[in-house]
Amino acid sequence: MAHSTPPETSEVFENLRLELRRGCLILAVLAALRTEQYGYTLRKVLAEHGMEIDEGTLYPLLRRLENQGLLRSQWREEDKRNKRFYRLSGEGKQILKQLLAEWQGIDSSLAEILKEPSHGTS
Amino acid sequence: MELLDRYLNAIKFWLPRRQQDDIVAELSEDIRSEIDEKEAMLGRKLDDAEIATILKQHGRPLLVANRYLPQQHLIGPALFPVYRFVLAVVVLCSLVPGLLVRISLMIFDPSYRSTHAVWVDLARGGQSFWGATLFAIGAVTAVFAVLERVEARTRFLENWDPRKLPPVRDPNRIPRFNSIVELGANLIFLVWWVSGTWSQTIFNRAGVRIVLTPVWRGFFWAFFVIALGNIVLAAANLLYRQWTWPRALLRLALDGAGAAAFCWLLKASLLAEISAPQLSWAQAAEVTNAINNYMGRMFPFALSACLIIVVLSDVPRLLRLGAGRGRLIQGVAIIIVLAQIVIGGSQASLAGAAMVDKNSATTFGLEVPGRRT
Repeated sequence: MAHSTPPETSEVFENLRLELRRGCLILAVLAALRTEQYGYTLRKVLAEHGMEIDEGTLYPLLRRLENQGLLRSQWREEDKRNKRFYRLSGEGKQILKQLLAEWQGIDSSLAEILKEPSHGTS
Repeated sequence: MELLDRYLNAIKFWLPRRQQDDIVAELSEDIRSEIDEKEAMLGRKLDDAEIATILKQHGRPLLVANRYLPQQHLIGPALFPVYRFVLAVVVLCSLVPGLLVRISLMIFDPSYRSTHAVWVDLARGGQSFWGATLFAIGAVTAVFAVLERVEARTRFLENWDPRKLPPVRDPNRIPRFNSIVELGANLIFLVWWVSGTWSQTIFNRAGVRIVLTPVWRGFFWAFFVIALGNIVLAAANLLYRQWTWPRALLRLALDGAGAAAFCWLLKASLLAEISAPQLSWAQAAEVTNAINNYMGRMFPFALSACLIIVVLSDVPRLLRLGAGRGRLIQGVAIIIVLAQIVIGGSQASLAGAAMVDKNSATTFGLEVPGRRT
């Protein structure tokens, strides 16, 4: 028998998925910018690793992270075109380290919760 | 690349002036890189249609620019539920009375009906109640927009004390104070009613005399019975302080009957005669007719007000008590029967009143208003 997901369920899933990804994207961007990149290549790197992000989300996010002091940017000419290159700042490296620790904590907590038999079910 | 320049220019329009060039340069570079890559893959230049497809994937200029702007709102999520509630109340209060009055005029006033078309009248009413409603919406929105700004600065919503929250009240519990006030007010009314209003000559002092038509007796008994009913109900509520559906139904019936009697009173051309020392017969008749006419004109307004009061105060109580649809229908049926009794009692003597009106009018050589054929 074929099962199809009701449209409202898939919409709920999509919203929750986006919410879950939102925090992870910041982590992914910070991690990817341990190596200097400009916007377009950063997008491609993220997409190649399964973290697709549209430029309407990426550029405002880069701007915000830069304002928070986590990134440094520089306009440079490459292939006869001006490009803005980003890289992680010293503070950004510290924050990335802390965030990764937090992420690993969440991951192991979730693994523990999933390992335990569900409560209150017969 | 003309399309790309137009696209970037459209985005630039919505961006903050200081960041415009920086953001547009970065976006331009991103899109050009994408175009270059596609051209390299195809081994040829992209045509306008292909560039348009890429731009469309990037999104409408306003939406793209919007992502760079700080999040702004006229009324934020914290105040929005309060705003919506206040707006609903204000819109109801400004729209419903106006609509009810117009509907009542359409139903009960033949002269109004003959000169106004329903939809045209409702649409043209825009200058009055639609306009008033729009103004109310604007005013409420402006007040909340100011509150939002004040909240952002002072954070007054965070300053609260759990001890100041209102106590949980059982809506079906009848406050003793209310029952005492109702009982007292109805007793005073009944004493005044019996002692001072039985006679058709309702005022006779210093040469000023006001006489009512015989139909008054019907209203006398109607209000007498309603006041008695109110006294019995208030006494019962004082003893048993929890609403039950039979008593809630009786409350609805009494309120409905009171409203029906009052509205009918306005239409009944109650005044038979007014006389005063310095008033000629013709002038007195004119005043009498004017007052009767004015009271008649008040009928649709009174009906609307009574309907609102009865519906807002009695129906929610019945619904809360879980009376169900059947009992609500019973309640409405009781109101209709009571209203018919009240109105019927009044109508029985209306013919007499009409005769009195007509005789007076003939005496004064005047036409009786509202009795034209």
